[in-house]
Amino acid sequence: MTNGWIDIKNTDMMLIMGGNPAENHPCGFKWPVEAKRQRNAKMIVVDPRFTRTAAVADLFLQIRPGSDIAFLGGMIRYAIENNRIAREYLVNYTNAAFLIKEGFKLPEDGLFSGFDAAAGAYDRSTWAYDETRPGEAANDLSLEHPRSVFQLLKRQYSRYTPEMVERITGIPQAQFLKAADLFTSIRKDGDMKKAATVIYAVGWTQHSSGTQIIRTAAILQLMLGNVGRAGGGVNALRGHSNIQGATDMAGVFDLLPGYLKIPAVADTDLKAYLARTTPTGAKPSKWDSMNYWANTPKFAVSFLKALYGDAAKKENDWAFHYLPKIDRKYSWTEIWDDMYAGKIKGIFAFGMNGVAIGPNSQKNIDALKKSDWLVVCEIYPDETSEFWKSPGVTADEMKKIPTTVYRLPGAGFAEKDGTFVNSARWLQWKNIALPPPGEARLDQEILARIFLGVRDLYRKESGKFPDPVLNLTWNYTNPANPSLAEVAREINGRDLTAGQQLPGFGLLKDDGTTSCGNWIFCGSWPEAGPMMQRRGTEDPSGLGVYPNWAWSWPANRRVLYNRASCDPAGNPWDPSRKQIWWNEAQQKWLGIDVPDFKVDSPPKDHMGPFIMNPEGVGRIFAPLAAFTDGPFPEHYEPVESPIDNPLHPQQSKNPVSKRFHSNMDKFGSPAEGYNIICTTFRLTEHYHYWTKNNQMNVELVPEPFVEMPAELADDLGLRGGEKVKVTSARGHYIAKAMVTRRIKPMQVDGKKIYQIGIPFHWGYRGIAEDEGKTALTLANLLSPAAIDANAYTPEFKGFLVKVEKI
Amino acid sequence: MSSNLRIQAISGHSGAAPGAGTQRGERVAKLIDTTTCIGCKACEVACLEWNDLPFRETVFDNTYQTMPETAWNYWNLIQFREHVRPDGTLEWLMRKDQCMHCAEPGCLEACPADGAIVQYENGIVDFQQQHCIGCQYCVAGCPFNIPKFNPATKKMFKCTLCTDRVSQGLEPACIKACPTGCLHFGSKDDMIALAESRATQLRDHSGYERAGVYDPQGVGGTSVIYVLHDATNPEAYGGLPKNPRVPLSVKLWKGPLKWLGNLAMVGGLLGVTLHYLRFGPKQVIEKETDRA
Amino acid sequence: MILRYTLLERSIHWLAALTYMYAMATGLAFYSPHLYWIAEMLGGPPTSRYWHPWVALVFVAALAWMLRAWLPDMRITAADRVWGRDVKYYIRNEDEKLPPVDRFNVGQKYFFWVMLFAALVLLVTGVCMWFPASLPLELRPVMILLHVSAALITIGAFIIHVYMGTAMVRGGFTSIIRGGVSPAWARANHRLWYNRVTGK
Repeated sequence: MTNGWIDIKNTDMMLIMGGNPAENHPCGFKWPVEAKRQRNAKMIVVDPRFTRTAAVADLFLQIRPGSDIAFLGGMIRYAIENNRIAREYLVNYTNAAFLIKEGFKLPEDGLFSGFDAAAGAYDRSTWAYDETRPGEAANDLSLEHPRSVFQLLKRQYSRYTPEMVERITGIPQAQFLKAADLFTSIRKDGDMKKAATVIYAVGWTQHSSGTQIIRTAAILQLMLGNVGRAGGGVNALRGHSNIQGATDMAGVFDLLPGYLKIPAVADTDLKAYLARTTPTGAKPSKWDSMNYWANTPKFAVSFLKALYGDAAKKENDWAFHYLPKIDRKYSWTEIWDDMYAGKIKGIFAFGMNGVAIGPNSQKNIDALKKSDWLVVCEIYPDETSEFWKSPGVTADEMKKIPTTVYRLPGAGFAEKDGTFVNSARWLQWKNIALPPPGEARLDQEILARIFLGVRDLYRKESGKFPDPVLNLTWNYTNPANPSLAEVAREINGRDLTAGQQLPGFGLLKDDGTTSCGNWIFCGSWPEAGPMMQRRGTEDPSGLGVYPNWAWSWPANRRVLYNRASCDPAGNPWDPSRKQIWWNEAQQKWLGIDVPDFKVDSPPKDHMGPFIMNPEGVGRIFAPLAAFTDGPFPEHYEPVESPIDNPLHPQQSKNPVSKRFHSNMDKFGSPAEGYNIICTTFRLTEHYHYWTKNNQMNVELVPEPFVEMPAELADDLGLRGGEKVKVTSARGHYIAKAMVTRRIKPMQVDGKKIYQIGIPFHWGYRGIAEDEGKTALTLANLLSPAAIDANAYTPEFKGFLVKVEKI
Repeated sequence: MSSNLRIQAISGHSGAAPGAGTQRGERVAKLIDTTTCIGCKACEVACLEWNDLPFRETVFDNTYQTMPETAWNYWNLIQFREHVRPDGTLEWLMRKDQCMHCAEPGCLEACPADGAIVQYENGIVDFQQQHCIGCQYCVAGCPFNIPKFNPATKKMFKCTLCTDRVSQGLEPACIKACPTGCLHFGSKDDMIALAESRATQLRDHSGYERAGVYDPQGVGGTSVIYVLHDATNPEAYGGLPKNPRVPLSVKLWKGPLKWLGNLAMVGGLLGVTLHYLRFGPKQVIEKETDRA
Repeated sequence: MILRYTLLERSIHWLAALTYMYAMATGLAFYSPHLYWIAEMLGGPPTSRYWHPWVALVFVAALAWMLRAWLPDMRITAADRVWGRDVKYYIRNEDEKLPPVDRFNVGQKYFFWVMLFAALVLLVTGVCMWFPASLPLELRPVMILLHVSAALITIGAFIIHVYMGTAMVRGGFTSIIRGGVSPAWARANHRLWYNRVTGK
């Protein structure tokens, strides 16, 4: 989130889309409810199904899965047409006024300029600012120049008329206009006092154009001047208790902790790597920019020092070559595809039910059948740890599976300490409630013992390039079971000369005198102690900042980009919710929140609030390598779609998003009878594949089901509770029908379309499953291995199926 | 602020209850704002956990609702109803269903067992299972279909409004667990004021012209009150009666019929006594000839 | 002595009497808090509540037997109606002014039918009260009202029946214990029945 959970109570207007927080974040949802209660804030919910979030909304619109860019693009057009934009904010805090190079082409035919069909990728050199001199962006502050970002934006979304929105999304024009009017009403007559927030979750990310959906929302929010404001922002609701922590610490193949980029094969040395990954940008000459990522060398070198300690020296490029260098993508879906192709011999599945998570579960199951070994660390036997018991595997086949399976009993969340990082970027330390039972072990102990065993083997037997393993720092008091407090201190970082914990990332250096495991967490454990263990309940401003409760990255800032909460002169747009302000006497920025800015940069220097962008401003236009599929979002159809893209039928789908091509990767079309759109979702009462083992949760929702419109049930001659079989090109799923009025048939580009929803919490192992009460099918047997072009998230929401009564 | 457990009414009791006619402390109330309920069932789980209620088996029934109605071991339940408004739009109504703790409890009035149901000064109506005889008269007396029978122990159960917690100054378990703050607890006066202000807010700002407070006077008002989007249509919320009252049959039975019955029985006994005194028995004169 | 009631008839009668009295006693305990002590005396309130319906079912079974056995004797005739109009003579012990009656006079017949119909109401409402969840909400308390009303009627009838069988009609009590009555008694109280059974 750019903002935070509690901050949502400050909002006047909420757009909740691609997310169902009432059901999936009920505790966090308290804050949208508070906003309604205390501020009469309005809530607009857009979802393929009328969910429990929709039940408390002021306005609900049912949308076809995967058409969100069309909806949001239509909103952008509406805002521009009706002059409901934050003009001063737009001109001064975004790149709306920047001019784009000649030669850039908008995708009116479905392709931006520079598409190389053979490579299946874009040459992005035309997606660039027009620089009068290197580093100096040409601009027109009146926003009228035809090559200004603003005019290009206007042209880009001029095609997203209410009529087009209706054709693509299935939302009737009148309803769409009602929503657009309501959401943008906060900027009516140029009023800057109100703030609107956009709240989303995996209903946006789990699409082949997921990243661009979020981009469209970001553009809308920048246009409306909501980013940096209390009650504003672009707010992702993370789906697991520590997934934010996981991405912060780079549990992702192409990152290093703190969102540093992983080295590539072309980075022949540290200098080349830093040159590639340290951004420079262009901006108007009179404007200042902090360009905080210019400090990349400090973060990278400190990280290498944390990993390799004294073995990282200036002479050996700080052990840069110890880091792996990627030659291609190794995202989640790639890994399983590689395993299916026999290229990956073994997999560690730690608290991760890979077979059930999918996509295309059967491919994942078959991939495991080819692997040499599988190490599962889990708290319950699950579908992955018993993949040979998946339905359809005969006794004979089972005997032929060569995989050696190691099942390590792990610890549950209440049995571990350490921090969780929530959606609001708060690091909160938790204590152990009870020890792991029996032979179960903590994650750090399991990993440490594996590491020490591997290191030992390298010491005894040597091997190919043992240096990174042998030189990895492992100076824990108990090397076989490191205390997470020690790890947290290591992540925070130290000044190696003074031997002291660092108080913040501003003190990191690139000369090898500092070490830091993750620069954005630097400051979480200074000399004073663990900041994330603080529990101060004071909120002096009343804006829900709670500056002494836990510790948020970066530097305990609660609302990011908060400089933008003030006008260019340094006065808050809304004095009743002031966050930071310029104090002329003290010549610095003061506030009720830590300024996300250079604290002594005066307003007259016009330093941009978006300090992590090299330009210093928010990107309406995302230039160059920012995204693989376009500097502006464009609506593309999902990989399996019932219609051709009305905007450009000849280029219906995203030309850059990846589909896999093994013999297990089949895709269906309406011509083959796959006419119904399917989406997968989560219930409040269950948590992924874990709670099917817990009696309490099973009591609340005992059996799997398929949610479908009453009209579809009528067509099939089906009543609620009767069994249905849902089939995609990849597999089938059997469960009872939940016949409801909460999903209506839609008219999409003139076609009557049904959509159904499947909660995915069941598989072939669990309380109900073991009692023979279910058909033992996994929802993700249906989903396709097609992934987002930028974040590689699979398209779990919005693929095609058939439905029949059985 | 702990609440008073002085007893104001006792079922099946001859003589007055010790606290009858007194009011030392405040009446408490639970406010349920259906307009902010998200049907998350935290309250269902909290009630089970606090009261150590055992696991029951449930089945899929074409709804998100956990089971069709409350049970002897499931004291509160979110009722889910898909309701189509006159203008064709859909609402999904969610109402936390549990004992309403009526000021004039039909269950207590109907109950024949001395001390099986008590009403505390704070308004909480509580079943005392050690005195319960399992006759299920309370089932007949309740206009909300709340008391439920445990066939194994033959005792009746329902929500206790967490008297054990309330008497120690804590809020009920469901209120503590509710994540959106849709549930509130405090004195009845405070809860009514809060409910009314919320209903006003809904009418003035959210377009719910018929929003209002459900505090049915037919049972003397309740210690569980609702804010409803449409107070003119409580039935839409899954069986919430529009004008609940202690059933007329119960009132007749416990009122006029008692008098009539007592009159009949006493009258009958008196009658036959008087008859005997006045007329004596019938005498039959035995005849000698019959002995043959 | 003339045999008025066989051993079987007497046994069934006493079965009915005892089961009825148990049901009445426990019922009265549930009817009034002032009489709740009755249940406490009879093994405790839960026990009383448990056995009340079972014992009542036995009572109903006994009545059913009586219906089958005594239906011919219980039919109400034109002569009964004449007798009934002049019941004041019976009350005033001026029996000689009344026409002769068969095995049972109309008062006894009415007692039988009142008890039977009331027992039917008690049975139906009683079963509904035993399983109230099977009834719609609005009907549940109605059953109790009807049950109590019917019970009170039986109690009134019972008071009269016991009075008459013990104090008022000498020889009646003996007849239901030992079975026999004297010829004089039979001639005085049930002339037509006397004529029928003795052939006179």
